[in-house]
Amino acid sequence: MIQCQWCHAQNQAGATSCQTCGAPLDERDKVSDSGWREAPRLRDMTEFQFSGSTCQVEGELVPVAEISLHPQDGVYFEHHVLLWKDESVPLSSMNTGGGMKRTIGGMPHIVTVANGPGRIAFSRDAPGELVVLPLHPGMELDVREHAFLVASHSVQYSFVRIKGLVNLLHGGNGMYVDRFITTGYPGMLLLHGNGNVLERTLRPGEKILVEPGGFLYKDSTVQMQAAQMPLKTGMLRHGMYLAEMTGPGRVGIQSMYVHHHAD
Amino acid sequence: MNTYICRYCRQPSDPSSPTCPLCGAPVDIRSSVSDSGWVQQPPIKDMARLQFGQSHIQIAGTTVPVAEFNLAANDWIYFSHHVLLWTEPGTKLTNMPMRGAWNRTLAGLPLIMVEGRGPGHLALSDNHAGEVVALPLQHNQQIWVREHRFLTATGNVKYDWHPTGVWYTTGTGDDQETRYPMGQYGDTFAASGGPGLLLLHSPGNTFVRDLQPNQTLLVQPSALLYRDVSVRMSLHLEYPRNMGFAFWNNRWSYRSIWLRLFGPGRVAVQSMYAAPEDTDIITNHSYATTHHW
Repeated sequence: MIQCQWCHAQNQAGATSCQTCGAPLDERDKVSDSGWREAPRLRDMTEFQFSGSTCQVEGELVPVAEISLHPQDGVYFEHHVLLWKDESVPLSSMNTGGGMKRTIGGMPHIVTVANGPGRIAFSRDAPGELVVLPLHPGMELDVREHAFLVASHSVQYSFVRIKGLVNLLHGGNGMYVDRFITTGYPGMLLLHGNGNVLERTLRPGEKILVEPGGFLYKDSTVQMQAAQMPLKTGMLRHGMYLAEMTGPGRVGIQSMYVHHHAD
Repeated sequence: MNTYICRYCRQPSDPSSPTCPLCGAPVDIRSSVSDSGWVQQPPIKDMARLQFGQSHIQIAGTTVPVAEFNLAANDWIYFSHHVLLWTEPGTKLTNMPMRGAWNRTLAGLPLIMVEGRGPGHLALSDNHAGEVVALPLQHNQQIWVREHRFLTATGNVKYDWHPTGVWYTTGTGDDQETRYPMGQYGDTFAASGGPGLLLLHSPGNTFVRDLQPNQTLLVQPSALLYRDVSVRMSLHLEYPRNMGFAFWNNRWSYRSIWLRLFGPGRVAVQSMYAAPEDTDIITNHSYATTHHW
């Protein structure tokens, strides 16, 4: 058996890509000297499984996730990431809750649900990578707003308000992060990271300062706070804020972003 | 004595290394040259390392590459705060003031640079799909770079900026507007006190070419990435031949605005650019050559 270094699933000897997350198994991990690991670049037409369904990744510049849904399976997503679908795949809506708070935060009130059987495909609108995150029961993952592509129906979707006035005014991460939770069953979460995606695992108490626009996801155990740098960024601007991440847990970043002071 | 010269950065380099330690270009590949003489700058390989002083840089990713710095105690770099992706809390960041604050503000250029000093790690990335281009500079070597393409430079590389001198105006009276097809200012960098390193971010792919003395070339103004300071440049306006319809359009809307480059020297272009979109009549311009077909 071979263990996938990205999702830690076991695979048959001789397999060239992980059947759970699609990561190449016959390539070395790419880890920088300071410990950032590149998210695995999924090969064109790679397939992997979740529940009874299959996901195939097509393209490498702006990858498409094409899902063949099992009759008992469903996925949910923001409606504008839907690229195409079989006519027979039924769509329904799922209220995220939060009402006015979501409106103020610029977040969708409703996510769309597609149920099997049938084929459906998703993509976002920027060069980047698909990040496949199989979630084991009991996992909680926080994702920057509008970065989530699609999740399997066994994953609970909620959102967490970023607390603290400093975070709201200077944090650059928006008012909310999406929180994905698995309870009794494993699930599958696909994100789209702009540019390249890098992940680092922080030890308990270990800190790293990240440009807020580059933040992509983190384990919910990682604390995120806006931290002021002793720097000026312009004639009238005093102070530059970065997101201070404190372990333990994983932090994922994307290399292409809109700088949060550029808006 | 080492006689191997890297064909991309043109500095004495190490042929036994898989990538040039000064610019990161792969050593073990064939040069890719178009029929017209453009040499494709090979992208720096994922996880390749570059050396400067006692520090090194590792390039991570290939779509929007990240330049990760491991800065030694006495080494430092400077950059715009917009490109800082992450830093360790222990890496010292301070401001580096720039002259000409008002003009830089008007031109949309970063007003204040950030200095990053070792020991420590930090990482920089731009926000366009493209390539990191490393330009090692010998002592006193100078290079011109288009605005907003600069990613970072080592502390001993002097940074200055000057008007491009390439402009035109459209409209009259209150509607008059001055346009700078390649930006209002250009950056110049020069190493002093020893070799230095300059990193650029080039959107799309990068192509390099050597112009002979007095050889000229027309390029999209916003596609120029860098040039030797020996290469001169000016505006060129080209009007296609009227094919029998709307003859007056030939005077303004149906035209090409070019940058004319004059050799000798090295020039580099990026394949992703924004062509001028305005269509108003040109009422005045910097020195330009004109051609009506």
